[in-house]
Amino acid sequence: MQIQIQEAVNQIMSAVASNQVNVPLLQPILDLVAQIPMAGFLVSFVLWKPFFAALICPGLSTLGILLLVFPWVERKLCGRIQWRVGPHEIVWWLGGLPQIMADSVKFLFQEVIVHKDADRPYYLQFPFLSFIAALLPLLFISAGNIIAIETPYAIQLMLALICLFPLFILGLGWASNNRFSFIGTVREAFMSFAYEIPFIIAVLAMIVLYGTSNPLQMSSTGGLLEWGLFRNPVAAFTFFVAAAMATSRLPFEIAEAEQELAAGPHVEYSGISFGLIYVMCYEKAYILSGLMTILFLGGGSGPAISGLGDLSGAVWFLAKTVVVMTTLFALRTIYPRYRLDQGLKIGWGAMISLSLVALALSVVIVLVQGGIGGVEGVV
Amino acid sequence: MKKVSVSEQGLVEKAKRHAAAVGVAMKESVTPLTATVFYPRERKKMPDNFRGYLLFDPEKCINCWECAFICPANAIQMKKAPAPNNRFYPTVDYGKCIFCHFCIDSCSGGALRTTKIHDVAYREMGEMLTLTEEMIEPPEIIREDKKSVEYEIEKDDLHLKRTREVDGLFVEPTPPVEIPMVSQCVDRASCLGCRVCEEVCESGAISSSSAEGVLEAEGVLRMKIDIEKCTGCGLCVKECSMQILRLVRRGK
Repeated sequence: MQIQIQEAVNQIMSAVASNQVNVPLLQPILDLVAQIPMAGFLVSFVLWKPFFAALICPGLSTLGILLLVFPWVERKLCGRIQWRVGPHEIVWWLGGLPQIMADSVKFLFQEVIVHKDADRPYYLQFPFLSFIAALLPLLFISAGNIIAIETPYAIQLMLALICLFPLFILGLGWASNNRFSFIGTVREAFMSFAYEIPFIIAVLAMIVLYGTSNPLQMSSTGGLLEWGLFRNPVAAFTFFVAAAMATSRLPFEIAEAEQELAAGPHVEYSGISFGLIYVMCYEKAYILSGLMTILFLGGGSGPAISGLGDLSGAVWFLAKTVVVMTTLFALRTIYPRYRLDQGLKIGWGAMISLSLVALALSVVIVLVQGGIGGVEGVV
Repeated sequence: MKKVSVSEQGLVEKAKRHAAAVGVAMKESVTPLTATVFYPRERKKMPDNFRGYLLFDPEKCINCWECAFICPANAIQMKKAPAPNNRFYPTVDYGKCIFCHFCIDSCSGGALRTTKIHDVAYREMGEMLTLTEEMIEPPEIIREDKKSVEYEIEKDDLHLKRTREVDGLFVEPTPPVEIPMVSQCVDRASCLGCRVCEEVCESGAISSSSAEGVLEAEGVLRMKIDIEKCTGCGLCVKECSMQILRLVRRGK
């Protein structure tokens, strides 16, 4: 019995050891730690690629830091663009960073109020469920060559999970039982149909173009001109606008519409449940930007940073993702909010046409470049 | 029914405008302009006709009460000066003042004048009633500013221009424009010949025609106004019992 357990442990150990994140810069420290009995195993487990991906880089830790920092980045960026530079008087050299702490503390310690008309179980469940659903696509995002679950259907799975987000928003809007949240919910439903189809077709165009939907193979195509952005700019544009619609941020903040609906689906929420919903749109933006980086910006490709080894790709991936996210957030300062009918018109009109054009463009490129064989490779 | 229509732009024009908007956003995110004036450390440069704190010069006041009459907020009350003087001077209640500066416009002697002071603090409401003697000298000012700031419009964009100079808060009062007036009888037929205007005239511009030995046919005195001597003080206009005298602009 003991021998069997020993063998199983050894098997796991060797599996873990064979698939490590290789960071030459940290190797001396890791060698030191490896001599400590339990710590060595723990560290090697953390550095096990799937676990590292899920827990640290593109996964939970990175997401957490981005969620913490990005509301601040957004505020500062919008402030600069809109001539509201600050703070000037109180600890100006920190640039308002303590606000992050204040926000977190506020969200954590505020009372979660469940008003008496709300559908209590769903009202309390949906914010947490939606947060979990928004986490799942992270498993299929590859940062360089670090990925949690490697499957040939990664992009499709991500699409399916991303299209799950609106469902939870509909759920929490319904559970709030408030007229504002009802209107916001209906708007969210309208908008989700309007952007999802062009979104899916744009991604499909890229899958056709690459002939694969494995993010590792997509991002390994190096070179600037090999980026999806330059190979199929129409798809890139469509994807970007669809991502802006999906995050329901300012140019397409139709469901939340501060001026009309207070906060749309989540008027009634407070405390940590509001915090989760508030943070969810940043989470969405992160996932969509990550997907955009993989599909259009060459993923983690870039000149290797010496000493970082496998992390070099992750650093490039994160840098590109942050740029895309920042661009997404900067949109709110450039464009005013569209009305619902305008949003629907954009989604069902221009966006669908553009996405179909993108798909056609991809097919033409594949046919020209690879002949009939290229298409067979896709199928 | 008329509908407001938006001018249609071509695709190229639209794309250009989008690009311009994105370009502005990118430029601003790197080198943001700002409209903030760091007030105690720098001051906005005010124009010379800025409507600020009022100063008063009793030497020039002619006690006409015009400021108190015209004040729409009823902030100006006339207070009697102590015994040897016995004249009435304005006091301003800054709790009521709306800074319209009608008082300055109406001041014929130029006794009231404006300053660029716009930041006076009071400890309590009562202090806001500023007495005449407090209006002669400007309030105590602590200047912390080293720079002055001006807004300038450059290429359809607002810019802050900072200069290393301390802007003066006091404005030289523009001397009141004197409009030369002259007294004129508008209805000679109604004149009673009471000679009140002749008695009241300090410059001796009004004389009864009888002095020259000319009586009109009805045996009524008619007054004669010497335009050259008349100073346009308006005393005769005020005193005329028939109200037939008017002040008119000289030369008309």
